[in-house]
Amino acid sequence: MPERPPILVVDDNFDNTEIIAHYLGARGYPITVAHDGDEAMARFEEVRPALVLLDVMMPGRDGWEVCRLMRQHPALGKRVRIIMVTALDEWDDKRQALQTGADDYVTKPFDLPKLAATVERNAALLPPPLPATPAEA
Amino acid sequence: MTPAGTAVTGGAGGRGDYAPALITDAGAEEGAEGVAADVVRAAAAAMGGWRTCVCPARELGAGVLATPDARTVVVTTDNPNAVRDAVTAARRAGVAVVVGCADETARRRAAELRADDWYVLPGTADEVAARVRTALTRAAPGGAAATADRIERAEFEHLLYDARTGLPTLPVAIERSRAGITERGELVVLYLNFVRYSKLEEIYGWERLDAVLETTAEAVRGFIGGTALANSRALVTYTNDADVVLFHVPAAGRPAATDAEITELSGGLAAHVAARIEAAHGEEVAALFDIYVGVAHVYHNPKVRLERLVYRGIREAANAAKSVAERERARKVADLRASLRDGLVYVDYHPIVEAATRRVFGYEALARGVLRALRSPEVMFEVAAEADLLWELSRLCRTRAVEGMATRLSRGELLFLNVDPQDFADPEFTERQLAVDDPRRVVIEITERTAIKDYPKFRERLRAFRDAGFRFAVDDAGSGYAGLGSIANLEPDFIKLDMSLIASIDANFIKQNLVETMVKFANDQGAMVIAEGVERAEEFDAVRGLGVHLVQGFYLHRPAEGEHAGEGAGLLH
Repeated sequence: MPERPPILVVDDNFDNTEIIAHYLGARGYPITVAHDGDEAMARFEEVRPALVLLDVMMPGRDGWEVCRLMRQHPALGKRVRIIMVTALDEWDDKRQALQTGADDYVTKPFDLPKLAATVERNAALLPPPLPATPAEA
Repeated sequence: MTPAGTAVTGGAGGRGDYAPALITDAGAEEGAEGVAADVVRAAAAAMGGWRTCVCPARELGAGVLATPDARTVVVTTDNPNAVRDAVTAARRAGVAVVVGCADETARRRAAELRADDWYVLPGTADEVAARVRTALTRAAPGGAAATADRIERAEFEHLLYDARTGLPTLPVAIERSRAGITERGELVVLYLNFVRYSKLEEIYGWERLDAVLETTAEAVRGFIGGTALANSRALVTYTNDADVVLFHVPAAGRPAATDAEITELSGGLAAHVAARIEAAHGEEVAALFDIYVGVAHVYHNPKVRLERLVYRGIREAANAAKSVAERERARKVADLRASLRDGLVYVDYHPIVEAATRRVFGYEALARGVLRALRSPEVMFEVAAEADLLWELSRLCRTRAVEGMATRLSRGELLFLNVDPQDFADPEFTERQLAVDDPRRVVIEITERTAIKDYPKFRERLRAFRDAGFRFAVDDAGSGYAGLGSIANLEPDFIKLDMSLIASIDANFIKQNLVETMVKFANDQGAMVIAEGVERAEEFDAVRGLGVHLVQGFYLHRPAEGEHAGEGAGLLH
């Protein structure tokens, strides 16, 4: 079985993270969840996910800001692929997603097979993995 | 702290050999699910010499606290209180928690309790081992406090170093140079003002600007390293801005760089950075590049705070850079006047090709100055706008472009002509003044970037051109947030997609989606879509796959080197 890339799922709604984690977890993706922007940034550094599913509407740091911060991360920012999760499907949303450095988007409410397809097509474009680095001492 | 494998002294019961322990309730109750227990035991074995301690679910918490070698607890019970107790105890002991979940409710509970990881019962040995490993890394740094600490550190780092260029910000540089300045008593501040970087972002998108900023910082560092300023203390950047400040504290026993040296250096620096940008990002980007260097000397004065002295020096150097920029601009305006008088403008014809057949469909006329400083059309028109010579320049460029039609274009090929919305206010720009035999062969490109001021008047002029047979293209479509409404207003025959939408479109699904939307819209309106700035085969395949009708860019055509590039240009493919 090909190695599935690790995914960080960020959503302030516990039900959503749970459903997504379950659905994608069952497809063999290692899943980490976070429920706000700060936690997302911490988990991002910890697990170094290859993909991030990032909800736009969150209290505190919203998805756009988290996306920008992740992209600016010196070690990880260029490699990670970021998929925005948004309730809106308008031109200017997509434009903003581009501007903040996102690679793809999915719309709410979730269509799980479509979500899996989106994850899959982004996984297919990942750069080859870095040689394993020892966990921080 | 490494989570697993750390030697723990004095294992319980005087056993000499230490083995990390996995504590679980799986298999504790007789007759309960034997499979889950086997799986957990197999997982512990797969971890490499872990031992498994089985205890009843209600005693898990106590078991965790009583076992000094405990590293992970795997909870499989569906008793909520037992799970809670186990998690609480594990938190207190710094032990990772993995919850085996029988159903959705159990999973939700595990998430709410912030278990480090979870899996679906009964699971497999491999999966449980993997969950234990990730749980260990997550539990490792010691909980929420460490997380908050890390975030704070990241935020501070953000303030102290620019993420793109890796250069320190001003406060850091002042701190670093403090001792040197006090000791030496003087400091030279160089202000490097890079112009037109915002233009770069506007045309090519922020990804390209970021890349150019990185190249710039690297080139500046590389250049300074080989000069009289090599002993300088610090390069500084304003986060997310193109300008860079350089502190030069001369080394002990060495004189500071003289003004003459610095002037010479700044010339060399400009050439060096421009060459590096051209090598990395191509001629078009490099042509936009300009740098102005200003210098100020700061002398240490024990009565005045160092920060204030430094900031004053920076301001002075920035002003000096500005006056250099103004001198340069005056020179460019003089060049432009000469160009207008002597007609020193030539036209590059960039082919626009049918995506399906790769046959030439038409050419976009790009006017360039013959004089070196005005080679870039962007720069030339910027200078014209500042000097209020826009109409004059536009007239000359249009005349030149139309002149070339007879010689450069084959029959049936179209000429795409850039027209600024402001040109429509020029009384000399009329459908009759454009001396073309067949207006249907001319497509007037209007950029979406510049706001149209007098809309009714503009539409009226548009109508007159259209009635005469001219066609229209919306240039840079999709560059703004406006969407499709503003494009529909112009009823274009062609929609030219903004270059930033095309760059790396093969790897970005949002760009693909936007282009797809635009193609659908164009097909409904009976217009054709042109993808501009196609540089790679992957981009070409992507836009063709999305139904884009016409393509333009270096993938299909590289301008020939040297003067009057238009003449020798051929199709590569």
